Amino acid sequence: MKATAVRVRRALAMRSGDGLLRGAVWVLLALVLATLVGQLTGAGGRPDAIVGPRLQPPGSGWLLGTDNLGRSLLPRLLQGIGTTLLLSTLAVACTAVISTALGVVAGYRGGRTAELILRIGDVLYSFPAIVLAVLVAAVLGPGRTTALAAIVLVTVPLMTRMVGVAARAVARREFVTAARISGVSAPTIMLRHILPNVAGTVAVQGTYALSVGILVEGGLSFLGYGVQLPDASLGLLIQEGGLYMVGAPWLIVAPGVVLVAAIMAINLVGDSLRDRFEPRETRSLV
Amino acid sequence: MSEPVLELDDVRVVFKRGRGHTVTAMDGISFRIAAGETLGLVGESGSGKTTTGAVALGLRRPTSGTVRFLGAAQGRRRPRGARAGAVQAVLQNPHWSLNPRLAVADSVAEPLAAVEAGRLRTHHPAALRILDQVGLPASFAQRLPHELSGGQRQRVAIARALITRPSFIVFDEAVSALDVSVQAHILNLIHDLQTEHRFAALFISHDLAAVRYLAHRVAVMRTGQIVELADAHRFYTAPRHPYSRQLLETL
Ligand SMILES: Nc1ncnc2c1ncn2[C@@H]1O[C@H](COP(=O)(O)OP(=O)(O)O)[C@@H](O)[C@H]1O
Ligand SMILES: [Mg+2]
Repeated sequence: MKATAVRVRRALAMRSGDGLLRGAVWVLLALVLATLVGQLTGAGGRPDAIVGPRLQPPGSGWLLGTDNLGRSLLPRLLQGIGTTLLLSTLAVACTAVISTALGVVAGYRGGRTAELILRIGDVLYSFPAIVLAVLVAAVLGPGRTTALAAIVLVTVPLMTRMVGVAARAVARREFVTAARISGVSAPTIMLRHILPNVAGTVAVQGTYALSVGILVEGGLSFLGYGVQLPDASLGLLIQEGGLYMVGAPWLIVAPGVVLVAAIMAINLVGDSLRDRFEPRETRSLV
Repeated sequence: MSEPVLELDDVRVVFKRGRGHTVTAMDGISFRIAAGETLGLVGESGSGKTTTGAVALGLRRPTSGTVRFLGAAQGRRRPRGARAGAVQAVLQNPHWSLNPRLAVADSVAEPLAAVEAGRLRTHHPAALRILDQVGLPASFAQRLPHELSGGQRQRVAIARALITRPSFIVFDEAVSALDVSVQAHILNLIHDLQTEHRFAALFISHDLAAVRYLAHRVAVMRTGQIVELADAHRFYTAPRHPYSRQLLETL
């Protein structure tokens, strides 16, 4: 326990030294806080209330402007951020569980088990993400469940492969061989020795999967297969905004900026986690 | 001499390297090791020493030949389970000999928990006793591997190997990565522990000086074959095989 506390403190100390990372974490915190406050206190107004004339530029009664029905964009944006983040996080949590289990088993067992798991992953991975997502929509019909399932299906193959490769490397270590010689059972070896030593990879890949998840949700909702009206999500808002891009550009700019900022911030967090867990690779930004 | 702890008889191990290409890592290997005895296994890298260790431990099934442990031939199925706790190993890389996420006491307790069941924690008292025997005070028990030196880590690895009172231990390049002065301490420790616990040992090393310190008998391996197997004293004073002489000249 003490050792863990020391490690956490050390990680935080490094974290506060990294300005870029700190900025990224602030952006994400701000997004989460804004949606929470918006949903819980109703600040910014009800998302479905008609507050003024149609397609008004940002003004006093409607801080981010109004849409084609005269609804204020701000509460709809907050609602959309919430939907998108919640959906993607939930989906990536599912992905993390599935991929970690498959990756650890494939990495430890090796041989035919690993072959089978990775082959199936390769087949899925060879489809472009959005094609896979639309296929899911064709089977399940549009909606939140579809968005969730699509994100899981798109993110599982890569994460499974990365965790599998990491688990394979750990399985070759002397302490795993020594445990096998001592007669420690395979499930115990996977839980006690492999899993804790691939946790870093899971964290890094989970972060990247989250940004992919947000993109997939955006893409699906944009195409009309994801989150449905009158609900809002970033993808849906961008799709709506696109229809009035010339006359009311604020409708697409606001959700677009949020989407890009969220994805950049998440990738920055991922990069810095990767730097910490896999120090040999250089960072991709800066 | 008493009944051997371990006996290999004409063991061959052939690895397939794809496209009909094969490597014979063990080519008709026979030897026996008695309780309290150390067989030194020397030879250059790639000569088949580690494969021999894996076969001796029951980790790898030979292509042909027999392996007897305490008189019983290695079973066809699940060769490991039956020997749990009776055989142990101390392996090369001190950096990875311990799980970086497990405290020392947990690592040492693990083999005992595997044999006697129960949580790691319930075996901590036994772990502390054995840690004391390898020269590590109780203050080390809750440390993580990255807080230890290479020599200390190998002491922990030795403690872990000893905790189940095994009758046979394989040391595969167990001191090769350590500084010479640290090596001497660890070799001394192994020697004393063997005198006390009387385990049979296969001491694998490419370093003839380290082997000389511990081995009662020495086997020289080259490309999967034992070219000379002799009493240690005789081997170091009057090696017979030209390859043995060549190796000893570099000492
Ligand atoms: N799992 C394996 N698959 C294929 N070839 C192997 C395997 N393990 C060892 N070998 C080969 O067998 C030979 C002996 O290897 P090894 O026993 O590790 O030698 P040493 O420990 O003396 O360096 C080498 O040629 C090595 O490449
Ligand atoms: Mg070797």
